Amino acid sequence: MLILKNLRKTFGEICAVDDLSLEIKRGEVFGLLGPNGAGKTTTVNMAVGLLKPDQGTVEIEGLGSPTRPHVRARIGIAPQALAIYEDLTGEENLKFFGTIQGLRGRHLSERVKWALDFVDIFERRGDRVKTYSGGMKRRLNLAVALIHDPPILLLDEPTVGVDPQSRNSIFEKIEVMRREGRTIVYTTHYMEEAQRLCDRVGIMDRGRLLAMDRVRSLIAAHGGRSTVIASKDDGEVKIETDDPLGVLLNLRKSGGMTDFRVDSPNLEGVFLNLTGRHLRDE
Amino acid sequence: MREIAAMALKDLRILLRDRSGFFFTLVWPLLIAVFFGVMFGGNRASEQASAIDIAVVDEDKTAGSQEFIEALDSGNEFSISVLDREQAFDAVKRRDAVAYVVLKPGFGEASRRVFWGEPPQVELGIDPARGAAAAMVEGILMKYASERMGQAISDQNAQRENIRSAREILAEDEDVTPEVRANLGRLFADLDRFMAEEAAYTDSADTIQSGMSGLEPIRVERTDVAGAVYRGPRSAYAITFPQGVIWGLIGTAAGFAVSIVVERTRGTLFRLQTAPISRTSVLGGKALACFISIILMSIFLYVLAFFIFGLRPVSFPLLALAVVSSAVGFVGVMMLLAVSGKTEQAVGGIGWAVLIVMSMLGGGMIPLFFMPSWMRTIGTFSPVKWSVLAMEGAVWRGFSFVEMLKPCGILVGVGVICFALGVRVFDWTTRAD
Repeated sequence: MLILKNLRKTFGEICAVDDLSLEIKRGEVFGLLGPNGAGKTTTVNMAVGLLKPDQGTVEIEGLGSPTRPHVRARIGIAPQALAIYEDLTGEENLKFFGTIQGLRGRHLSERVKWALDFVDIFERRGDRVKTYSGGMKRRLNLAVALIHDPPILLLDEPTVGVDPQSRNSIFEKIEVMRREGRTIVYTTHYMEEAQRLCDRVGIMDRGRLLAMDRVRSLIAAHGGRSTVIASKDDGEVKIETDDPLGVLLNLRKSGGMTDFRVDSPNLEGVFLNLTGRHLRDE
Repeated sequence: MREIAAMALKDLRILLRDRSGFFFTLVWPLLIAVFFGVMFGGNRASEQASAIDIAVVDEDKTAGSQEFIEALDSGNEFSISVLDREQAFDAVKRRDAVAYVVLKPGFGEASRRVFWGEPPQVELGIDPARGAAAAMVEGILMKYASERMGQAISDQNAQRENIRSAREILAEDEDVTPEVRANLGRLFADLDRFMAEEAAYTDSADTIQSGMSGLEPIRVERTDVAGAVYRGPRSAYAITFPQGVIWGLIGTAAGFAVSIVVERTRGTLFRLQTAPISRTSVLGGKALACFISIILMSIFLYVLAFFIFGLRPVSFPLLALAVVSSAVGFVGVMMLLAVSGKTEQAVGGIGWAVLIVMSMLGGGMIPLFFMPSWMRTIGTFSPVKWSVLAMEGAVWRGFSFVEMLKPCGILVGVGVICFALGVRVFDWTTRAD
């Protein structure tokens, strides 16, 4: 369980995080959504004890603040930047970070093997990371976060710059981790990822948490209505509705419809409605 | 501690795999040491020294002793300093001179005699460990004494005067038996006649000299000057290898300074800082890796210097002290440089610029003794100077442990202060990110 209470952090005159509170339950996949500069990274840095909040508290699994090393050991982090050593092999990276996390001897060897298997790079374990593809590096980045078997995972944009195949592979790994009962905090720009993976989503902008709920509830509350777009003999019609099926039936009855499309509300719409801006405009 | 060791091992592994880092840490310093060593004459530098430094003590103070000193000075084998006995002893002890030569009272008078009495006596003071040098000095002294004897014999008038003087002494000596007196009387008479006849020939000196080979031209009494300390480089490598190590220090410090920024820019530092280890462990591991790299680089260079280039440091324990102190000093400098910028380019640029200036002023490029005094004064502020001094002190200056304390202490002090400052700034900047 991860609890952030009334967090506030300023850098000079810029308020990076303003009175942010959230509680992430054990086994939950929580998505933190927001454009660049929204305060996601500052929030993550405070959550792992790297930044001291000006105000507020962070509590990890009832053990206290992550500024304490044994509390930090409960967290695994996969930063957006590939935080691995390219001149070391995949196996050497995992052994090194495992040692840093306090693993020793046979337990370390077993965890290294498990992690290599889990992210499907066991065959390339002896090759230097600089020879890996972008997707393999991303998976190794994830494996390093998991090497010490942490109950809480912070994944910061884990699919940036990877091919669709590797992205799907990462999604599958996250699904497995969810089934294992790990708590996952997932920051991303990609709403479809958040919609697919997250149980709940928090939307941040300019340091403030604008909304937080289950994806469906957020969409229902802030996503607006569905839009039915139909092509008819006399042109195209766009109808916003809460009952797209009913609208389509009526259009069919009236005749002349040659084609149609239904745009359902999504998190992009939620963000647009909450901020007046598109998520990827930033 | 295990985490610090893991950090250090990781950095050493990366260093070995980084070709440019490996080059500047090990290959470049070696090239510098060998290139300049060969350029300045390698091991021949000392052999080509034109003269052996000796101190001469004239206890006779006669025209004869003065002439002998002038003869020694006019040759190219010796570089003479005329000192009193105490100064001469100290000069050999400090190895400012290879040996001292005392011309004992009666030297001049004895030089004039050829056929009777004690030969001229000299005392040769030298380190007993330098047997070859002692033999060489003794041989050269013998050569000059023989030349003087030859000159004395070739002067027939002087020798006839000598014979007359000897016959008078013989006549007055009551201890001599009649038989010996008669025999010597006949010998002196024959010699006098021989000299008189030889004076008629112009080229007689060689003939006479050749007949004097059994005579003793000089008697050398050796005195041991134990514990002498050599204070000059025995070869060019004694200067260039410490300088090579300095380049290794610079390359290693610059490389590790950049590696800290690389950890920062590539995100691995973030990962390390969020691991259950302290910041001290993170930076301690980096410092340990830098320290070990410097030690290994120094050992590599000095072992090569010893086995391939014949470098023989005056003191190995003091050399170890110099290397360890230098490593501590430059680990601190590395840490301070690591926080001088936020990008690899900035730290690399600033790092090399600062280190090159330190090296220029501190004797890393030009040996300290070639520098003008004002530059040596400015160089006091460069840790390179103290590192060069410490290493040269152990390699060829023959510093005592007490003399080593100053440069080594300064290096350790610089290291500790710079490291503490660097950690402070690092802590402040990373927390503000």
